[in-house]
Amino acid sequence: MILLMAWRNIWRNKARSIVIMLSVAIGLFAGIGVLALYKGMMKSRIRAVIDSEAGHLQIHHPDFKKDNHPAFILPDANALLKKVQSFPAVKMAVPRTLAQGMLVTTTGSAGVQINGVVPALEYSASQLKRKIIAGEGFHEGKKNEIVIGKKLADKMKLKLGAKLVLTFTDTADNLVSSAFRVAGIYQSGNAPFDELNVYVSLTTLNEWLLTGNSFHQIAVILKNDDDLQVMQDQLKKTYPSLLVQSWKDLSPETELMVKTVDEYSYIIMIIILVALAFGILNTMLMSILERTKEIGMMVALGTAKAKVFLLVLMETVFLTIAGTPIGFLAAYIVIGYYQKHGLDLSGMGKDMMASFGFETTIYPSFPSEKLVMILAMVICTALLSCLLPALKALRLQPVEALRR
Amino acid sequence: MEKTVIDAHNISKIYNPETIPVYAVNNVHLHLLEGEFTALVGPSGSGKTTLLNLIGGLDKPNEGNIYINGTDITKLSAGKLIDFRLHNIGFVFQSFNLIPVLTAKENAEFIMLLQGIKKSEREKRLQQLFKEIGLEDKTDIRPSQLSGGQQQRVAVARALASRPHFILADEPTANLDSVSASNLLDLMEKLNREENMTFLFSTHDQRVIERARRVITLVDGRIASDSAAVPTSIPHEQVVT
Repeated sequence: MILLMAWRNIWRNKARSIVIMLSVAIGLFAGIGVLALYKGMMKSRIRAVIDSEAGHLQIHHPDFKKDNHPAFILPDANALLKKVQSFPAVKMAVPRTLAQGMLVTTTGSAGVQINGVVPALEYSASQLKRKIIAGEGFHEGKKNEIVIGKKLADKMKLKLGAKLVLTFTDTADNLVSSAFRVAGIYQSGNAPFDELNVYVSLTTLNEWLLTGNSFHQIAVILKNDDDLQVMQDQLKKTYPSLLVQSWKDLSPETELMVKTVDEYSYIIMIIILVALAFGILNTMLMSILERTKEIGMMVALGTAKAKVFLLVLMETVFLTIAGTPIGFLAAYIVIGYYQKHGLDLSGMGKDMMASFGFETTIYPSFPSEKLVMILAMVICTALLSCLLPALKALRLQPVEALRR
Repeated sequence: MEKTVIDAHNISKIYNPETIPVYAVNNVHLHLLEGEFTALVGPSGSGKTTLLNLIGGLDKPNEGNIYINGTDITKLSAGKLIDFRLHNIGFVFQSFNLIPVLTAKENAEFIMLLQGIKKSEREKRLQQLFKEIGLEDKTDIRPSQLSGGQQQRVAVARALASRPHFILADEPTANLDSVSASNLLDLMEKLNREENMTFLFSTHDQRVIERARRVITLVDGRIASDSAAVPTSIPHEQVVT
């Protein structure tokens, strides 16, 4: 009966209740929308790290990461590459020779990370081919070709076909320089990455570094993102003398960003719900005030205070919960649309977004894993909102309430 | 021996006791036996409603004790008092005070649900009660669609539904037209006569006073007269059975 009364009570003032329900629906829609946008941005960023930058896992000589000296090649690298490729969870394993050096042109110089790659493999592994916006990339049989990022090209005023010189140290600590011609300009959507990384042929770089047919890094792409931890543990166990790092280890700023944004999204959700709580609180206080005499009469007849509290609580919960499915549904539909078609945020500052490593087109992702948490937060909001009105109702003395 | 239902001893209700004391009820002794049909009369501000509130456990006296069926309700905690009211006292208010979101039947059923009475028993009682109040065809109608007289009848049904020891009615006919008031009095008299239900009601209404079998007059919080044959104050020890 208390539930029935609570449900009917919220419809006593239809307009007021509908306004609150819509507020809850809009608030939830906005909150879930923000969560979905953040989730989409983070997924996009993580995908960029995995697909374009680090891969899921990387294997190095344990000393290589300490000072990036080219002498720290992977021992028995080609056999190791084959073994890694044979793991069922591995989609692809690509070799990379790495060197840090200076890129010099007639107009200036810049510090760069030189990635010696096998073009055919790298095109698939880091989707380098897809990212090339000018030129065709590496040509078979041609040596000393280089693919540079757009940001670097703009900074160094380099155009397709332009010549430049890379200077770096070889394994014997000799300073070596070699001229390269720009065969392609890529744009990954991550401006700092594009400014730092240049790609040359692995064979060419190995010749200059004197690393033979070995290499410094195996980048591993997994079939399934969820296998990351298992595969890292498995590789660590299999090759205890090597350094096996996941993208989380290699790009801690991304991991931190994901966690921080996750926390921010909850904070935003809490702010929205707190704002809603005040609306609900106000509605419930008015409702209790209007029914002072009625509640006093109920207590006079013998209604226990716990039941009065339950009545106020249920009214608040119904009022709050009623708007929840509308908010969820609206969010699901709108997010579903943009998840398919993408949300173009280039108007917000393409360069700014790229400088933080974000694509300008975001594909929001419905935060289904957070729905239980959101629902719990909504219920908590209802509980908190009902406390003051319920206390007000409980404090009513029947004899005073009946006099009104 | 007739059973004592209400036994109030030296009860006083004082407002502003620390500053300028105002005696709403002043040293009242009241003794009601089962089956009495009593009117509490007096001018406005004489303390009728306050006395009913004290007897009904809605308010606490500053002085004195009130025994309902032998239980001193002035000693009960707030929670126990609510429970006591639920199981022992029926209330009929001047402005009906039905729950607007419940139908007539649900209003009467509400109190039985609070008492934890089984559905079959509730249905049986409701059928009987609505037959008695003559509103068998209005059970599923909400109070707003009932006339004042019909609402007050439902209020009586609600008061009776809990099978109380007595019914307190605060000016039950005040908001009713003469026909509705007469019908309500007929109903109350019938319940009193046939089921020996004890009624204590405050009223200004001469028609009610004429039909009461006992009339107690309050003036300035004191009992000025009592038409009862029995004394208005009997030591508690002598009357509790």
